[in-house]
Amino acid sequence: MRSFPALARAISLAAAVAMLGTVMGAPVQAATTYKVAVDLPMSGADASNGIPTDNGVILAVEEANAKGLPGGIMLQHQVLDDAVQGVHDPAAGSQNVKTFVADPSVMGIVGPFNSNVARAEIPITNDAGLAQISPSNTNDGLTIGETAKALRQSHPDLITYFRVCTRDHYQGAAGAESAKKLGFKKMYIIDDNETYGKGLADVFEAAYKAGGGTVLGHDHLTKNQQDFKALLTKVKATSPDAVFFGGVTATGGGLLRKQMADVGLGTTPYIGGDGISDEEYLKIAGAQADGSYYTVAAPDIGMASAQAFNKAYQARFKQAPGAYSAAAYSAAWVIINAIADAQKSGGVTRPAVLKNIAGTKNMASPVGPVAFDKNGDTLNGVISFYKISGTPPKATFLNTVSIASL
Amino acid sequence: MELFFQQLVNGLSLGGIYALIALGYTMVYGIIELINFAHGDVYTLGSFFSLAILTALGITSEMHGFPLVATILGVMAGAMVFCGIVGVLIERFAYRRLRNAPRLAPLITAIGVSFILENIMQLWQGPSPVPIPTFIPEASFAIGGVTIQVKQVFVVGLAVFMMIALQLFVYRTKLGKAMRATAQDRDAAQLMGIDINMTIALTFLIGSALAGSAGFVSGVYYGTTWFFNGFSAGLKAFTAAVLGGIGNLAGAMLGGFVIGLVEAFGAQYVSDQWTNVMVFSLLVLVLIFRPSGLLGESLPNKV
Repeated sequence: MRSFPALARAISLAAAVAMLGTVMGAPVQAATTYKVAVDLPMSGADASNGIPTDNGVILAVEEANAKGLPGGIMLQHQVLDDAVQGVHDPAAGSQNVKTFVADPSVMGIVGPFNSNVARAEIPITNDAGLAQISPSNTNDGLTIGETAKALRQSHPDLITYFRVCTRDHYQGAAGAESAKKLGFKKMYIIDDNETYGKGLADVFEAAYKAGGGTVLGHDHLTKNQQDFKALLTKVKATSPDAVFFGGVTATGGGLLRKQMADVGLGTTPYIGGDGISDEEYLKIAGAQADGSYYTVAAPDIGMASAQAFNKAYQARFKQAPGAYSAAAYSAAWVIINAIADAQKSGGVTRPAVLKNIAGTKNMASPVGPVAFDKNGDTLNGVISFYKISGTPPKATFLNTVSIASL
Repeated sequence: MELFFQQLVNGLSLGGIYALIALGYTMVYGIIELINFAHGDVYTLGSFFSLAILTALGITSEMHGFPLVATILGVMAGAMVFCGIVGVLIERFAYRRLRNAPRLAPLITAIGVSFILENIMQLWQGPSPVPIPTFIPEASFAIGGVTIQVKQVFVVGLAVFMMIALQLFVYRTKLGKAMRATAQDRDAAQLMGIDINMTIALTFLIGSALAGSAGFVSGVYYGTTWFFNGFSAGLKAFTAAVLGGIGNLAGAMLGGFVIGLVEAFGAQYVSDQWTNVMVFSLLVLVLIFRPSGLLGESLPNKV
């Protein structure tokens, strides 16, 4: 089981070497087909996130080819899976990105989905000067501060990593503000001790305290933990108005909610981030999902700018888009527009595409106007707030929180 | 103080599940001195078998009265039978040929079997947690402010019942005597006319059936299962078996409850993320001062 990634690594390394050979052997021609590459978790539990997100990119590439691009260039979509044993894996992600770097026709990458995978990939795209846009990473440390600088080892001042969703600093603050509005005066905070989960919980705690809320306690879960009754008994004794969870469904978000009922916290509201925004959460928490709230670092798919996209997606894939389909579609279009502009002004090269992406100005997209700041973060930050209720529990959009108000 | 007793209840029910798994660990070790790492996965298999039986019977909602009792016993018996068969097959095809091999060989084989079972379960039921229908009503009662769920009583009761039944089987029946004889000296037992292969297969059958019952109970208790559950639960149960004195049935039970209690009180009075550290530190401490476990020395006959 543990030896499998090593084997996969060896094989893809061999493949990469072989590819490098063909590149060096033949003179690089002015290829008329360029690739929009995708790195997402496409198998296992994370596939419920990865596949609808990838579909957004497929849709964008197909639309661009149908519309026609300057100079007769064509685009191709290529996706690699970063899940190992059904769970997103940083080592697999960095291997995929190395494969893309070795392929000269790749002009940009959409992905990854998970923040810890991004940590492994940013140093590689930074070294290669290849642009990468994540539809869904929210961890602050990927773009802000010393941690972000440390990821850009090769070229500290070159930004190759962008994202079209906003970051946890705002997601946590939006969660805290929404909790305050709902009248939760004292809360208990639990996180899964991972890059994303702990980061979000810490931001939430700070914002919630700053807003006058009382934090009754902050506990961290252990990996692969199944029994949360002791922890929840402790939580119940503090009689919180609500419980905040920083983390994803797969690391305990669903089971924790389910077991709250066992200790008599079944009617206590439960708030999380986009980590519990998936179908998987409703499946695992079951009827207990009723009374949960969550934030998503993207506009709701019901908003006006997304209607055309929703229709096209529905027509193409015969299902409703996922939480990050529109974001991935927009990220792909940023890359496509950058390639088209490069073609018009002197030729498609990775540095030209990268420069055009960084210079994207208010591009209209389903997630609103896209533009990036100097760190690669979106200037159009929007957080959506949802409630899960009813039998069987279903998510309904409550309201939008703009980062300008936070 | 109420909180203390509430955590006591939590710890005992968690410990009951560990104890049921630990019983199988300790039996197999007692008879062929093999740490059967696949045992935790047989436990997970038990919860998947329970789910499959429930699905086959079309049970999705709460039941009451006689049908409820019949379903509980029927599904648990089914899971135990299936797991018992799997255990016997594992022994027959993976361990039997290695019985006289160097000890590392069966140990590595056990880890291999564990991976095989995990991957089979992942292919069968998918890599994410799977919900198990709640067909037992959520009933609970309170004693002086401490809420006790009926299913918690069931877990603890079943663990204690199984341990006593097993103890009686091993010490009061002919087959049990054969098991003890095989554990003490395999060659001598064979010379006395004991069918060694049958006896060892029987040990695996019983041990795996117990894991199956633990799988059923945990499925009902938590309402979910996951293909990878057996890894950490198996590790804790193994720790329980060693803590109590490996090869000793009462010790396995005691170890299971001790670990469950340490986890519950650790989560309450220290911090949830330190519970594993406390469990394994306790193991180290016990092994330093009592190398053969808590009850290890008091019983010379190991099974």
